[in-house]
Amino acid sequence: MNLVRDCLDKVMEDRNKRRMGRVDGIVLELAAGRPPRVAYVELGVKTLMNRLSLRLGRVIGRFMESRHIKSTPYRIAWSAVRVGLNHVEADVDADKTPALEWELWLRNNVIRRIPGGK
Amino acid sequence: MKKILVIALGIVTSVGGFLEIGSIATAAQAGADFSLQLIWAIVLGGICIAFLVEQAGRFSAVSGRTIPDAIRERFGFNYFAFLYVVLALVSLLVLSAEIGGVCIALELATGVGFQWWAIPAAFVIWLVLWKGTFGVIEKGVSLLGLVTLSFVVAAFLVHPTWGHVAKSALPSLPQHDSAHYWFVAVSILGASISPYLFFFYSSGAIEDEWNEGYVGVNRIIAAGGMTFGSVISISVLILAAMIFAPQGVKFEHYSQLPQLLTPVFGYWGFWLIVASVGISCLGAAMEITLEIAYLTAQGFGWNWSENQPPKAEARFATAYTLTIILGALSNILGIDPLKVTIFSMAVTAATLPVSIVPFLFLMNDYSYVRVYRNSWFSNAVVIAIIGLAFVLAVVSIPLQIFGGG
Repeated sequence: MNLVRDCLDKVMEDRNKRRMGRVDGIVLELAAGRPPRVAYVELGVKTLMNRLSLRLGRVIGRFMESRHIKSTPYRIAWSAVRVGLNHVEADVDADKTPALEWELWLRNNVIRRIPGGK
Repeated sequence: MKKILVIALGIVTSVGGFLEIGSIATAAQAGADFSLQLIWAIVLGGICIAFLVEQAGRFSAVSGRTIPDAIRERFGFNYFAFLYVVLALVSLLVLSAEIGGVCIALELATGVGFQWWAIPAAFVIWLVLWKGTFGVIEKGVSLLGLVTLSFVVAAFLVHPTWGHVAKSALPSLPQHDSAHYWFVAVSILGASISPYLFFFYSSGAIEDEWNEGYVGVNRIIAAGGMTFGSVISISVLILAAMIFAPQGVKFEHYSQLPQLLTPVFGYWGFWLIVASVGISCLGAAMEITLEIAYLTAQGFGWNWSENQPPKAEARFATAYTLTIILGALSNILGIDPLKVTIFSMAVTAATLPVSIVPFLFLMNDYSYVRVYRNSWFSNAVVIAIIGLAFVLAVVSIPLQIFGGG
């Protein structure tokens, strides 16, 4: 498998085929004398910003923390990930992960309060 | 039989949805300042957009993905981020111009200043997106947009010299005001080759659940819709050339628009202009708003579909709500919509390469389009369009400075 071509930036779905976001980053584990091992995939704003510039990632991370927003990316163990042809599937329930935190917050605190949003 | 209906409806909606404030303003300006001479720019823009729309539709029908989806996958986040910032900013400018067009139509109808209509117009756009489905926006508003065919009828009734019209379909050098001539030509191309059109079309193919069986349908809709749409723009130019140019009248304000149809249709010409501008800009504003929300949702992997209720896609609904608020701002502040329109068309032209270059790669990637890859001819056309886009990118801003006045 070519990790960048087949996995990075692909749409990620949970076990119920619900879109969680995209694979924003891939974390490799290095151990002395052994080849690198894929440990996690990451989803999150800070991971994306780090790809643009590490400094930008740090600035955004600090800004989020100052607003009491968790900046740590959401990690999914590689063992729970299955790379498909068009998307990547994670053996998790998206609603119970930080990946849909904003979606659920907006739904419950903004959208549902607008007439016609229920 | 079903596909014939899809083709007919597709062409009708493309025609009804083609004209927007950018095409109206740039065509009217071209006709007033250079008579029929700039028809070639509309023809060239129409050919380019027909090819790009066809390819965007074919890509989505075959791969099951939209163009922004594939750009993020194929080119990575860094390129997508660049495209996203550029396209979102340009589209917001164009959205401001379209909302301005709706407000101008309401100002013409009521006499109340356009800026007072910015919030009601934005609210109506939002309400249709909030309550409506993709079909309502795509077909309903575009069908109403067929009122813009009144420009075509009027163009026939003013009896232009058709030989001269045909001759003007070929490029020619300016006889006066060179910088302004090329500026208007670039603006026309910017208005015609709008990235929002092919990005929206690509998302529409997914919303309408197109598959490989729609490749032929898509080709006919793209060619037919864009050709007939260009005919409407040419009609606006002919009217301005026949009515404004002989009197030496410059097109400097939207309040002059009724003069395009009143000499032909009298009292009803005024209301046809109000309806044409109002409905076409309303439709375009909805499409651009959705396009920005689609781009955001697709790029970041959110759930998106205009056919789902807002609660099912809270981030998508929030994205289009914020987009409308930002798009309405310049009108609330009273910035002249014509200036915003002309500026936005030039900026669109300046940023075209960012949106068009990925086509060349995506349309030849077997993993996406399989046997429906571009032929050598389609690739040659895309390369020519990219070349044109780079020329436009280089010259549009200097021409805006030296020829925009």
